Amino acid sequence: MNTLLALLILALPVAGALLCVFLKERSRPAAVVSAGLTTAAAVALVVSTFGATHHAVVGDLPWLRGLAAPPVFGVTIDPLALLMLLVVAPVGLLTVLYSTSYLTRNNREHPVGSQQYGRYYFWLLLFIASMTGVAISPNFLQLLVFWELTTVCSWALISFHQDERSLSAGFKAMVMTQAGGALLLVATLILFASTGSFEFSALSQLPDGPRTWVFVFLLIAAWAKAAQVPLQTWLPDAMEAPTPVSAYLHAAAMVKAGVYLMARTVSSGWAITPQVATLMAIMALLTIFLALSFYFVQDDLKRLLAYSTIAHLGYVLLGIAIGALGAPLGYRGGVLHILCHGLGKATMFFCVGAIAYVTGTRRISELGGLARTMPLTATAFFVGLLSVTGVPPLASFWSKFMILAGAMRLEGAAGPLILTLVLCETLISFGWMLYIAQKVFLGSPRAAADVRSAAPWPIQATLVALMIGCLTAPIVGIPLVGFMGT
Amino acid sequence: MVWLLLGCLLNVAIALLLSPLYEGLLRKMRAAIHSRVGPPVTQPYWDLLKLLGKEDLRSGGGMAYAALPALTLASVLLLATLTPMGAAAPLAFAGDMIVVLYVAGMSAVLIMLSGMTSGSPYGSVGSSREMMMALSVEPALAVSLAVGALKAGTLALGGMVDFQAQNGPSVSMSIAGLAFFLALQAQSGKLPFDIAEADQELMGGPLVEQSGPRLALFRWALWAKQLVLAFLLVEVFLPWPRLGIPVVDLLASGLKVLGVLLLVALIDVVNPRLRIDQAMGYFMRVGLASVSALAFAVIGR
Amino acid sequence: MGDPVFYVEVSLAILIVGSLASLAVSGRPRLCGWLSAACAGASAVSAWLAAAGAFAGQTSERTLVSLPQLGAGFTLRVDPLSAVFLAIVAVVAPASAVYSVRYMEHYRGDKVAKFYPPLLLCIASMNGVLVSADLVAFLVCWESMTLTSYFLVTYERESAASQRAGLKYFVITHGATLCMVAAALLLWRVSGSFHFDAARETLSRVMSTQPLVAHLVVFLFFLGFATKAGILPMGDWLPDAHPVAPSGMSATLSGVLVKLGIYGLVRLFCWILVPSPPLAAWGIIVALAGTASLFAGTLTALRQTDAKRLMAFHTIGQIGYICLGLGAGVYCLSTAPLLASISLAGALLHAVNHACFKSCLFLGAGSVLYRTGTRDMDKLGGLAGAMPYTAGSTAVASLSIAGVPPFNGFTSKWLIVSGCILTGLRSPLFLVLGLIALFISIATLASFLKVLGAVYLGRADERRAVKEVPASMIAPQVALAALCVLLGVFPQPALRFIGQALESLNGAPAAAVATGGLWDGIALVDGTPVAFWWPLAALAALLILALLAFGIQRAGKARTRSVPVWYCGEEHGPETVRYPAGSYYLPFKHAVQGVYPAAKLPAPRLPVQVRRLLDLDRWLYMPAAHAIEKAAGGISRTHAGAPQIYLLWIVLGAIVVAAITLGLAR
Repeated sequence: MNTLLALLILALPVAGALLCVFLKERSRPAAVVSAGLTTAAAVALVVSTFGATHHAVVGDLPWLRGLAAPPVFGVTIDPLALLMLLVVAPVGLLTVLYSTSYLTRNNREHPVGSQQYGRYYFWLLLFIASMTGVAISPNFLQLLVFWELTTVCSWALISFHQDERSLSAGFKAMVMTQAGGALLLVATLILFASTGSFEFSALSQLPDGPRTWVFVFLLIAAWAKAAQVPLQTWLPDAMEAPTPVSAYLHAAAMVKAGVYLMARTVSSGWAITPQVATLMAIMALLTIFLALSFYFVQDDLKRLLAYSTIAHLGYVLLGIAIGALGAPLGYRGGVLHILCHGLGKATMFFCVGAIAYVTGTRRISELGGLARTMPLTATAFFVGLLSVTGVPPLASFWSKFMILAGAMRLEGAAGPLILTLVLCETLISFGWMLYIAQKVFLGSPRAAADVRSAAPWPIQATLVALMIGCLTAPIVGIPLVGFMGT
Repeated sequence: MVWLLLGCLLNVAIALLLSPLYEGLLRKMRAAIHSRVGPPVTQPYWDLLKLLGKEDLRSGGGMAYAALPALTLASVLLLATLTPMGAAAPLAFAGDMIVVLYVAGMSAVLIMLSGMTSGSPYGSVGSSREMMMALSVEPALAVSLAVGALKAGTLALGGMVDFQAQNGPSVSMSIAGLAFFLALQAQSGKLPFDIAEADQELMGGPLVEQSGPRLALFRWALWAKQLVLAFLLVEVFLPWPRLGIPVVDLLASGLKVLGVLLLVALIDVVNPRLRIDQAMGYFMRVGLASVSALAFAVIGR
Repeated sequence: MGDPVFYVEVSLAILIVGSLASLAVSGRPRLCGWLSAACAGASAVSAWLAAAGAFAGQTSERTLVSLPQLGAGFTLRVDPLSAVFLAIVAVVAPASAVYSVRYMEHYRGDKVAKFYPPLLLCIASMNGVLVSADLVAFLVCWESMTLTSYFLVTYERESAASQRAGLKYFVITHGATLCMVAAALLLWRVSGSFHFDAARETLSRVMSTQPLVAHLVVFLFFLGFATKAGILPMGDWLPDAHPVAPSGMSATLSGVLVKLGIYGLVRLFCWILVPSPPLAAWGIIVALAGTASLFAGTLTALRQTDAKRLMAFHTIGQIGYICLGLGAGVYCLSTAPLLASISLAGALLHAVNHACFKSCLFLGAGSVLYRTGTRDMDKLGGLAGAMPYTAGSTAVASLSIAGVPPFNGFTSKWLIVSGCILTGLRSPLFLVLGLIALFISIATLASFLKVLGAVYLGRADERRAVKEVPASMIAPQVALAALCVLLGVFPQPALRFIGQALESLNGAPAAAVATGGLWDGIALVDGTPVAFWWPLAALAALLILALLAFGIQRAGKARTRSVPVWYCGEEHGPETVRYPAGSYYLPFKHAVQGVYPAAKLPAPRLPVQVRRLLDLDRWLYMPAAHAIEKAAGGISRTHAGAPQIYLLWIVLGAIVVAAITLGLAR
């Protein structure tokens, strides 16, 4: 039953995507329905296997069987996968819903004609499927396939507008994440060569030397995917994508695949060497501060959010590294942050999308006083902002708090050091984000903001749903992460 | 209970009935220095009586405005019942040194309020100046009483008087007494510190619009306050010789008060008025100097 | 009498449901207002029942949600200390809510949907802070309180001042909260639990084993609480944020919200920490911080002409008094517990009193704003005739805050100053601090006489038709003013409750403040009775003497006649004869200029070189990509499509291969 549900989650969006190819202009209802069914299946799966771990074999590759133990294609449903599904499926549905209004001729920033719909929804639904595939993969081989599939979808969606800038941004994203993907392949091959297995748990069977290298390669792959220093530069450029794509791929889901890879490999036997874990933590902190330093010069709201995403993925990796260094609480916090940040950041991106939709610009210097005409968007943006920056009682506070609590469990001065750095970053980024939010939404309206039309209902419904998510995510998330890291 | 009431009555009577007499004596002395004959000693009584019968011209309205003169006089009389005069204060159980300081401030506040309620800008200017004087004088007053409290180890005025009477003069109490005396000069609105009243520029300051019985009450309250504060000075800082016979002690205190007030009047006559900023600077220095009294008290001198 | 925690839960539930309900009906402002006021009132009743239960000796504890992974949980507990502050919230919050119903009508562009739901949630989180017995729950409620009040401070969406103030408020207080998060985590590192009891037990232990860590924890908590309480210099946000909120909220902010900082300090210094010599050092620090802020706050207030800003500065000043009392108390806790409880009782009583008079003052300023549209006292004057109730209650509250006997402010200031002077017998520093406090109370008086004189007294402007505010706005003001008088004349019940709260802390003896019955005086006992104050007796004497004086005044049976003010024979308009607020105490204001330094923070900016270095695209990836492109271009030039060149390559290749083969063969 659970296997069936899991396969449904995988198959439904694929079916939807293929349908969209044929339906072309009329693909919107099909997309919404297939994403809706996917979400329903995901929720059903979460409810039925909450906290349990479920493995199932679906098929294998006979021609590889001769070499070693058979590489298996199947599904793994455990709390970590469930948590990813909780981000991927509902936010995916909301993205599709949002896109139905956003990608129209009424969009003042980028009017989109209906002849483009087929292409767009095909890639978007395919992305949902591939992201699901990443989440439920039982081994490296399957993970690698879906991993590369997400990269391809990302390339297609970033380049969606097909102008000079978006094409080069898509290409850049493709090249940089692909470089990481190559290292994932290398790591997989080393693993297979020395243990004859693609299983995650095989990592712990590796001898010390290769293990370090495998984890270094995995880490670099994760950095590339999650836009971490030094491979962070593709993400701000990827903001050329349509805003729902930025919200979903580049805040909630695809970049999370990178940190998911680390969460998955680290927690499978806790075989990561302390040196690599330390490297991960240090680079995470570096990323957090480097991204922070870019906040102050941004004039494009989406680029600002992109840097914030980079920083918060750094938080996730920091939490996982803390977990790897011996404090499971930090790991739980990091994983919880995937969910909390995904919801919060998606909220903010969708708000920026609503602004661009209505005003035609996302330049901070041109915006002001939007709360008068867009009260719901303003509220949602503030909720998302406060959630992302970790103001209690909103979602990210809990994950950040758990990361910090985990850090305090570490021996020596590391804990207080991380605590100090993280709290400094939190305060500065909070202050700046709040400043920007006030500039954009409060005060007297600027010329660009003086519009009469409000965003259409699907956009508003998306924002309301995500606001609720920002408040309630910990209620589901904290028990879920409680099953992990043991 | 009876003794309590009698004590209150005595203090109130001293404050009410003797204050015009002291004022008359001061006027006589001032005239003597000016080489004038001066008014008779009883002149303040006649002034009050006459004012009480004159027409009451009111420039403001409302209950608060109507009640202010009576409340002002009452607050001064309350101060009298909290102040030891010859013997322990009758209402000592109801208020210590801090209460006395606040009650002394209360009458000043009421006079300032009356200046503001009258609607005259002169009244407001006078009130503002009065407040600034209070701001500058209060630290000196508070520090000098605190020295007494520090030495006696209690905040009760009675305890401070007893301590001073038994232990004789000390450096700290002398400095504190001097500061209190200078503060008294300002509190009773005498030159060089009559900046708030400033008859020549502000026409009486806060009281410019008061007339008839209202003016009588305010005048009376000011005279009574001057007397009560002088008593406070004499009792706390110069309680000797204390014989324990109430009547004799009271008489001695009365004479000492007369001496103090004559000194106040003497300074009043021979000095020109200071500007408000000069006065503030002066009292700031007095306040700081009186902190040295605290230092002496801490080291037990 | 039921379980106090149950009543608190009821109160929280009412407020949370109420906030949703008020959001639902926010389309009808009046209904929404009354609904919210009703919710605030109902929750206040429930909170009062909880407080009463706690004073009746029932202490209970309940965990609503438990987070075993963190060793944390939403644990609620009501003890007498929380009950004192719960009672404060339950007095001021409903008054503010009732007042706001009509007050909010004068905002034209802003909707009430932005006001009532956050207000109710703010009250709920304040209650939550007071009853939390777990650091995580405490911090969550604490920051929810900041969060909701931020939205109330920035209520006027299009006013730049509101936005600036709101940003400053939220960023500074969030920083403070982060300090407390750090402190909580440092403690947790040792104890493994966030429960208050664990914190208490651990911190005392750590104080002896790792004093540096313990002091760091105390310092971080102190920073957090002091920032919220508005103690200078951390409280710099307060004078900006309090005036710009809608007046009902200003009253709650100044009356209650800053008190929660005091609650935190009391909880920290008198309950979590056990009395010890290092604690005395903290007592001195708290007292010095308190004195600094009462000095700077009040003297700066004296210079203000914006009525609400003036009151906000006075909040800093009065919080300074509370901290002075607290500091003196903490200093004595281990050496002279009797003295300690005098100062502590003063501090807590002043917290209660300040809630009454400061809320009343803010509501009064709001009423003036509501009718005249300005907070600038230079433009106002003579409103007493048109707004008698507002003027009367403001006058009572002004005299209370200035500590004129027998109003309530006096009793608490008397306790604090007496406590300081008596502590000064042991440590002269406190003597000086007490005297500064005494002096500053005159400055407070000066400042509020200015308010009364400039806004309410003097000559009215006949051209401006000003009316008294509606009854629903008068009622809260009058009620709070009445409370000021009642607490002034009968401080005994409040003091007895506070004594109970103090005994429940580190056992500071309540006997030091001998209250007797309702009709008796108060004596401070330090071995022997050393200070006395009997408000009722003083009031009775004053009234009898006033009757006597009035008798004298009427003895001559003088006739009374109303006359116009004499302006030296000339006719003047009201603005020429008015004495504006800015003119009061000018020489004094010049003398005390600069006690409150202002600093500006520049926007964060990195040097250009660093910026370039951080931009990896610029010096690493793009040059690398270009180099690859260039190399590829170079290679492709060899494939130009001419057969001759290909032939040449083949020949060259054949030579190379032949050479290698020959070389290998050799």
